[in-house]
Amino acid sequence: MNDTAEIIINVRNLKIGYGDTVILQNINFQVECGEVFVILGGSGSGKSTLLKNLIGLYTPLEGEVWIEGVNIVTATGDERRNLLHKFGVAYQSGALFGSMNLLENVRLPLDELTALPEPLKELSALAKLKLVGLASAIQKMPAELSGGMQKRAAIARAMALDPRILFLDEPSAGLDPVTSADLDLLITELAHHFGITFVIVTHELASINKIADRVIMLDNRTRSIVAEGRPEELRDSANPWVHRFFNREPDAVASGLHL
Amino acid sequence: MIPAGQKELETDLRFGPAGSARVVLRGRLNARTATACWNELEQRLCGVNLKKLEVDADGLEFCDGGGLALLRYLSMGLMTPEAAVSVHGLSTGLEQLFQGFTLDDYKALRPSSSVKCHPLPEEVGSGVRQVALDFREQVEFLGNVTRNLLPTVLDRKRMRWAEVGRVFELAGANAVPIVSLVSILVGLIIAFESTQTLAKFGAQIYVVNMIGIIMVRELGPLLAAVLLAGRSGSAFAAEIGTMKVNEELDALQTFGLDPIRFLVVQRIVAAILLTPLLGLYATFLGVAGGVLVALGLGFPWPLIFHQLTTSLKVSDIIFGLSKGVAFGAIVSAVGCLRGLQTQEGPSAVGISTTRAVVTSIVLIVIADAVFSVLFYVLKL
Repeated sequence: MNDTAEIIINVRNLKIGYGDTVILQNINFQVECGEVFVILGGSGSGKSTLLKNLIGLYTPLEGEVWIEGVNIVTATGDERRNLLHKFGVAYQSGALFGSMNLLENVRLPLDELTALPEPLKELSALAKLKLVGLASAIQKMPAELSGGMQKRAAIARAMALDPRILFLDEPSAGLDPVTSADLDLLITELAHHFGITFVIVTHELASINKIADRVIMLDNRTRSIVAEGRPEELRDSANPWVHRFFNREPDAVASGLHL
Repeated sequence: MIPAGQKELETDLRFGPAGSARVVLRGRLNARTATACWNELEQRLCGVNLKKLEVDADGLEFCDGGGLALLRYLSMGLMTPEAAVSVHGLSTGLEQLFQGFTLDDYKALRPSSSVKCHPLPEEVGSGVRQVALDFREQVEFLGNVTRNLLPTVLDRKRMRWAEVGRVFELAGANAVPIVSLVSILVGLIIAFESTQTLAKFGAQIYVVNMIGIIMVRELGPLLAAVLLAGRSGSAFAAEIGTMKVNEELDALQTFGLDPIRFLVVQRIVAAILLTPLLGLYATFLGVAGGVLVALGLGFPWPLIFHQLTTSLKVSDIIFGLSKGVAFGAIVSAVGCLRGLQTQEGPSAVGISTTRAVVTSIVLIVIADAVFSVLFYVLKL
C-alpha cells in the first residue's frame, strides 16, 4: 500500500447482519483513491450485503464507514445527500427504471440533480452510453435488453454524475467473455485516466486478475475477512480456502458432495 | 482548493480579426461551472458571425462529463454553426475520451422527437381487434377451465387440496374482518338513510323488510364479491403474474404440468366454496346493521323478527347463495386469467392486477343484472 495515497473509503470495525443474525464482523479495510478494490467471496458470504452497508442502504449493527471523510452510518440530511452524490452504484440486476428508455435512465440524475443546459445533458448522457457500448440501444426500454446490456446501462447511469467512486455489484456475472473483457477494459481505463475509485463485488476470477489492484476475501465460515492483498499474493496464499478459490479447486468434503 | 477570490473556472473569450475568436478555459470544468460557461458563451457568441473558433483547454485542471459535453457541444459547432471549431490542449486521457464521441455519433444517435400519430380509423380498428382478441382468449380460457375442472377435482392426487385450503384461508377467513366492517356499516347506512323517507309515510318499521330483501337478494353477495375481487382476485393475478415473469409457468409446462390444472382449478374451487359463505356472512351482518337502526328507533325485538321472517322466503336465500357461487367463479377465473395473460416487463404484474379487479367488478355487475332478469322470469 502506498503511504502517500489518499484514503477515500475507511471501514472500521464493521459488524453487519439482520436483527440477531450476524453476517460479517470485524470488517476493517481502507480503499485508496483511484484504485480498483475488489470484494471477493463465495456464494452467501455476504458480499452484496456488505456493499449495501457501505453505500448506506442498510445500517450496520456496529462500526463506521467513512467515505471522503464523512461517516455514512451517522450522516443525515444535507451531509448525507452530498455524500450520496459522490458515488455511483450499479446494482446486480441493473435496477434500471422500467418505464424509461436507456437515454432517459441515464439522463434522470442529470435532469434531477444538475442545472446543465438541455443539449449538454443529452450530449453527456449519450457519451456515457457510447462509452459502455450501448450507442445503438439508447431508445430501447430496459425490458427489451439482454442482461449484459442492462448491466452496462446501469454502469452508464451510475456514472452520469461523474462520481469519484463507483460501486459495482457483480458487474460481469452473466456476461459473455468478450463483453466481460470489454467491461474490464472500461473499468481499468476509467480508473487510470480519471482516477475513479472502484469498489467491485464479484467472484469472476478472470476479471479479478485483470482489473484488481487489491482484493479482500470474505469467508462464510469465520464471517470475516480471511485474506487481503494483491491478486497474485492471494493466489499463492497459505490459507487453504483462499488457495482453493483462486485455483478453482473443488471443496467436495466441505460441501458434503460425495462423487 | 481554490484560493479565495479566484473563480473555479475562468472563461476568457477574445475576438480576433476576420471573424475568429479564441476561448481560453482555466480551472475546473464541472457540471456547475460548465453551466455558467455555456450561458456566458451563448450570450456572447449569439448573433456573431464567426468563421473560426479556437478552444484552448490547456489550463483545465479538471474536467468531468458535464464539462466534456460542453467541449463537445462547442467542437461540434452546435453553438456556432458557421464556424470551424478546434479544441486543443486536452490531457491525453481526456483527449482519448473526447475523440470517443464525435459529431457523427451525435447525429446518428440523437433521438428523433417525432411522435407517431395514428389516424382515427386505425386507432379504432386496433382497439376493436384488441377487444376481440381479448374476448377470444377469455372464451378459450373458459373452455379450458371447464374441460379441466371436473377431471381435476375428481382426481385426488392432482387436485392439491392443501392448496385449496390455503387459498380458502387467505381469501376467505382472512377477509372476515373487512367484510364484517363493510357490511355492518352498509346495512346501518342504508337503514338510517331510508328511515327518514319512510318516516314521512309513517312506515318506519318497513325498514326491516327492506334491508332484509336488499341484503339477502342483492347487497350481501355483491359486497362479498366486490371485496373478494379487490382482495383476492388481484392477489391471484399478482401471484400467477409473478410466476409468469419469473419463468415459473415455463418451468411447470416443461414438466408437462398444465398451469390451469395446477394453479387455476384450485383457486376457482376455493372461491366457489367460499364466496357463498362470505356472502351469507355479509348478508347476516348487513341485516344486523339494519336491525340495530330499527332497535334504535324503538321498535321491539319480536316485531322486528316478525317483519324479517314474513318478508323473506327460503328462495331469497337460495337466490343469494347461487349468486355467490357465480360471483366466486367470476372473480377467481378473471384473476387467474389476467395473471396468465401477464406480459413481460416490470410493470406487467401491476397492469394484470388492475385489469383483474376492473374486469371482475364489471362482470359481477353484469352477472347481477342477468340474475335479476332470470329470477324475475322464473318468478322466484
